[in-house]
Amino acid sequence: MRLIGNRIKGGIVIEFAAGPYLPKACRKPRLLARTAAVVSGTLLLSQLALADSYTVIPVTNGGTIQGTVKLAGPTPTIAPIVVTKNQDYCGESIPNPVYVVGKDGGVQNVEVYLKDITKGKALPTDPVAISLVNTHCMFKPRVQAATVGQQITISSEDPVLHNTHPQNAETNATIYNIALPYKGFSVTKPLPATPELIKVKCDAHEWMRAWIWEFDQPYFATTGDDGKFTIKDVPPGTYTLVAWQEAAGEKSVSVTVAAGKTVTADIQLQPK
Amino acid sequence: MATRIATVLPALVTLMLVAGNARAQEVGDATRGKVVYEQYCVLCHGEKGDGQGHFSQDTTPVPRDFRQGTYKWRTTPSGSLPTDADLERVLITGLYGTSMSSLRTTLNHQQRLDVVAYIKTFSPRFKTDKPEPAIVIPPEPAYTAESVKRGADVYDKFNCAQCHGDGAEGDGPSADDLTDDWGNPIVPYDLTEGHIKCGDGGPEIYRVFIGGLNGTPMPSFADSISPAEAWDLVHYIQSLSPTYPKNLTGAPNKPIDDFPP
Ligand code: HEC
Ligand code: HEC
Repeated sequence: MRLIGNRIKGGIVIEFAAGPYLPKACRKPRLLARTAAVVSGTLLLSQLALADSYTVIPVTNGGTIQGTVKLAGPTPTIAPIVVTKNQDYCGESIPNPVYVVGKDGGVQNVEVYLKDITKGKALPTDPVAISLVNTHCMFKPRVQAATVGQQITISSEDPVLHNTHPQNAETNATIYNIALPYKGFSVTKPLPATPELIKVKCDAHEWMRAWIWEFDQPYFATTGDDGKFTIKDVPPGTYTLVAWQEAAGEKSVSVTVAAGKTVTADIQLQPK
Repeated sequence: MATRIATVLPALVTLMLVAGNARAQEVGDATRGKVVYEQYCVLCHGEKGDGQGHFSQDTTPVPRDFRQGTYKWRTTPSGSLPTDADLERVLITGLYGTSMSSLRTTLNHQQRLDVVAYIKTFSPRFKTDKPEPAIVIPPEPAYTAESVKRGADVYDKFNCAQCHGDGAEGDGPSADDLTDDWGNPIVPYDLTEGHIKCGDGGPEIYRVFIGGLNGTPMPSFADSISPAEAWDLVHYIQSLSPTYPKNLTGAPNKPIDDFPP
């Protein structure tokens, strides 16, 4: 047995493939075959995942869920972020955006979604759904959502190195880790093949944080600066509506949606 | 011309079939691999593959937790699973400066494949996911003083210094606050020390900053660094290393030996 990788003088195609030494002409077809297998494998898996959990049906007279998310109590005071590197550009301190509460008490950056919904309208079809901008040594936006199969554009407006390092929020497992070495750099990447809550960090600036909810159904909304949300075209029925906030955690309420009607579901989160 | 193709093609097909068969036999057996694991790995990597073996508290860095399928030294892009050959390679080379030592003479090729098959069973990811196609590395240009000099500029342009420091001694502004996926503190490599863990050959270093080291802050520059810049950067890193045999005649990087039987 020999290592192939280091011995090929031309472009190295297969690195350290432990296998019998292959004549050069044989290498390319093997790589292509493997690529094809990987691609179809991924497609199949995501299709299966979708088929299992969510079925698209025509929704002609769906209802709407709307509401406002507020805190059940005073907004916790969180000390500003103390900047420990690149202060000449990032500044000495940055307001901590964990709780952003509007003047009427509405909480921004809350993800509101229908849990366990199995049937409904089609998923969005635009391939690039979301973007994450590294600006002034922070991520923008803090919280957003997309659906399985969509892509994310990651970019930097800062003259310092950032790295965008999404991880599974539960296990911390790295999804990928992309360097953004200079101002103006931009790249579009796929989101993971299965729905999950993604925590994004920048290792170079450890205070930077963003959250991406990836769903396999289209019924979700992220609250704006007034804390309001609207979820449309919901087939009539009773559902569990979940509101998630990065520090307060989750709160579920039951909502019943009638055909063509709007139901209001205000949610109070317990601040932590 | 036509006749030549006619004779070459069947030969090629036969060769590919033969190669395919030879590869088909080259599979690790996880059941046999468990026996190897319990003898040679369990004391560090733990019975459950969680990195919590008896010796785990005594080493920095700590032994790898295999349950997430997160591996640092791969031929595959950022975030991807490693190939079996990537995992076997770590067993051959060991990881310099860590307690993970080379098992090249202790285990034969089949035992290594078997134990690789076994450690993959600790992570469900290997059942649902496949390694992405390998990073393509163009041929290495000559190692010259000019290439090293250009490489120093690439190091600056791409801000490696943010973590590794201006002098590449692992003391950049972000060096002190880095953690890995398992929450352990981790330091950027001091590139002037030599003995890069993955080996200091050209393709090995090329892959570190193109593929990134999964599970660590070391990111992938695949979308920003061009192949020419990447090779200059490799040469610059090699020039910093006291252990890399600097050969300005343009000779290729150190070859890694054949696997022992
Ligand atoms: C004395 C302790 C020790 C023993 C014994 C040991 N390892 Fe390790 N191993 C480590 C440490 C420590 C690391 C982490 C090194 C790092 O991340 O820098 C590691 C990392 C690894 C990795 C990860 C490489 C990568 O690319 O991320 C693999 C694979 C591995 N070991 C396999 C094995 C196998 C298989 C055995 C048994 C045949 C074994 N190890 C025995 C300590 C040990
Ligand atoms: C966000 C911080 C960060 C940046 C930016 C960064 N590195 Fe690293 N790098 C690390 C860390 C942390 C390690 C150590 C990983 C380990 O020990 O597991 C490392 C390790 C390495 C290694 C050694 C790998 C080995 O096998 O031992 C090389 C080579 C390297 N980096 C090169 C570079 C180059 C070249 C750049 C710029 C193009 C760069 N790094 C940018 C954090 C960084």
